[in-house]
Amino acid sequence: MSDTLVPVTVLTGYLGAGKTTLLNRILTENHGRKYAVIINEFGELGVDNDLVVDTDEEVFEMNNGCICCTVRGDLIRIVGALMKRRTKFDGIIIETTGLANPAPVAQTFFVDDDIRAKTRLDAVVTVVDAKHLPQRLLDSHEAEDQIAFADVIVLNKTDLVTADELVAVEAQIRRINKFAKIHHAQKSNVPIAELLDQGAFDLNRVLAHTPDFLTDDEHEHNDDIASMSFEVKTPIDPEKFNAWIGGLLAQQGQDLLRTKGILSYKGDNRRFAFQAVHMIADGDFIGPWKDGDPRVSRLVFIGRNLNRPQLRRGFEGCAA
Amino acid sequence: MSLPTPDFLLETRGAHRELDAFVVATVFDRAGGTAAFACGDGSVRLVGVADREEWRTVMAHDGSVLALSSDCARVGFLSGGDDGKLCRIGMEHTVLAGFGSKWVERVASFADEKQRILACAVGKTVHVLGENGAVLKRLEHPSTVTGIAFDAKGKRIAASHYGGASLWFVASKTDNPRKLEWKGSHTGVAIDPAGENVVTSMQENSLHGWRLSDGQHMRMSGYPSKTQAMSFTKSGKWLATSGAESVVLWPFFGGGPMGKAPTELAGGDSATCSFVVCNPKHEAVAVGFSDGLVVLADITTSRIVPVVAPGRGAISAMAWSPDGAFLAFGSETGFAAVVDFTSRD
Repeated sequence: MSDTLVPVTVLTGYLGAGKTTLLNRILTENHGRKYAVIINEFGELGVDNDLVVDTDEEVFEMNNGCICCTVRGDLIRIVGALMKRRTKFDGIIIETTGLANPAPVAQTFFVDDDIRAKTRLDAVVTVVDAKHLPQRLLDSHEAEDQIAFADVIVLNKTDLVTADELVAVEAQIRRINKFAKIHHAQKSNVPIAELLDQGAFDLNRVLAHTPDFLTDDEHEHNDDIASMSFEVKTPIDPEKFNAWIGGLLAQQGQDLLRTKGILSYKGDNRRFAFQAVHMIADGDFIGPWKDGDPRVSRLVFIGRNLNRPQLRRGFEGCAA
Repeated sequence: MSLPTPDFLLETRGAHRELDAFVVATVFDRAGGTAAFACGDGSVRLVGVADREEWRTVMAHDGSVLALSSDCARVGFLSGGDDGKLCRIGMEHTVLAGFGSKWVERVASFADEKQRILACAVGKTVHVLGENGAVLKRLEHPSTVTGIAFDAKGKRIAASHYGGASLWFVASKTDNPRKLEWKGSHTGVAIDPAGENVVTSMQENSLHGWRLSDGQHMRMSGYPSKTQAMSFTKSGKWLATSGAESVVLWPFFGGGPMGKAPTELAGGDSATCSFVVCNPKHEAVAVGFSDGLVVLADITTSRIVPVVAPGRGAISAMAWSPDGAFLAFGSETGFAAVVDFTSRD
């Protein structure tokens, strides 16, 4: 992927989790980089930065027949305008409201051609409050969605819980999202290098951090969000894969919050990166396989009502 | 005699500069004596059509200029920026109004013998101002306003937003707009010269229109990318649009555009048409492309005249002088030019 694309970090988290504290920390730390910050106008705390854009989160449904395809129109306008002074900043950080579903934000970066041509979604960073997360998960869908969407999770306020509670809350996060990196924090004190420029869609790296590939087959409740990973060692036939994943996303896209994968296509020396948010998918070659690396195709799903045998059979059926 | 080079018109009849900033918009003042280029670095660059070697820089906004229009006086301009300010640029640069942290994303003006008014879109509100900058009206919309346009008589103003467009009578005492509804995100708006049709561009690579007499919907689709620029010809018979590999012209006569195929001109290369603007005196349209090519297309004869060769950045802004004699244009990479089309016998 080209370095000329502006990296975009999406910062989500429930009210009071420490999102704005983290944002101010990112902005004031001496890293020599400048960020344009897009915040919602109902933010509780001030943000200290030269380039702050206040916005209404304006979600609209695309007229493309896809029922879950919602997009943030305000981001399309604002990011488009920011690109007209591209040289003034190094990256964009988008803070969402606590109650926001991250899907429309992420989908915006897939759906709009102008934005796709000039930016790349670097990572979704979700801040959660170690003490209150269990309650949030009981009373709100959004808290669960925000964890499911995360590439990086800041498990904040660990000083307010016991060691046992911390283990329990981390396990709870892992049940929803096995693949995100988790950082423990107090007052949002995470090294900035762990949050920005993650290249979280450099999936090799994400997948490398997945120790329990194919090992975990616990029972999932249908209504809960779960994450599953699959791998196929023989090369993939692109046409078979497109047909299968296209049908799967069309049928089950509402349940599939995020799908990501690295594929080894038959007869191609390059890694193919695939990702989707609900029904909206995108894919591109991201450079060659390294010599000696096993050419294994991997796919992960985060969503509801995941049927492991069915997904495995489907993916394995894409072998060339 | 050898064939003219693609830059022939630029070299023999043009003046150009590298502005080192994204050209957001360009426009001539009402007298047609000066062209202004609004830039992503907050500056507005001015050049007179008589002395095209003298370029002046006004640092108008702290941030990016987002919108530019001619002022309602004979000379001067209005600009809106992401510093939340509406500015007047003449011999001096003054702030007409400030809107805090909200962006001033669209500006427009209207002037005839009877009235002189300004309008700017800030968030969900269209502010209608008198010539002196005093607020006359605040028109509220359900979501952020993405485009504004006065009709040819200055009686009505249209605003595009989510779910369609709103059409307001500027002088009305009761502030209820006519709501033109169509699901989706509408990103810009145009009114035909006769004031009979309103057309919006949409996020979904299509246009939507409403015939005002009976509310008839018009769907104009098939674009490979978003339409950034729409412009009616002088006669109102054609709507020229960007967003395809050619300039797409929809017929607004003979029952069209419903059920009629559009006319496509100046197509052929792989580049996308990124900007269009119709000449105010002739049935001709200036067309800019994503590879930097600029051509003039005569709609009646389908004749294409090259103005500038490709290679200086995607064309992001274009405007004609009110007499139709000068064309200004600018690119994403900061190339800006004015070309003289006056006849020389």
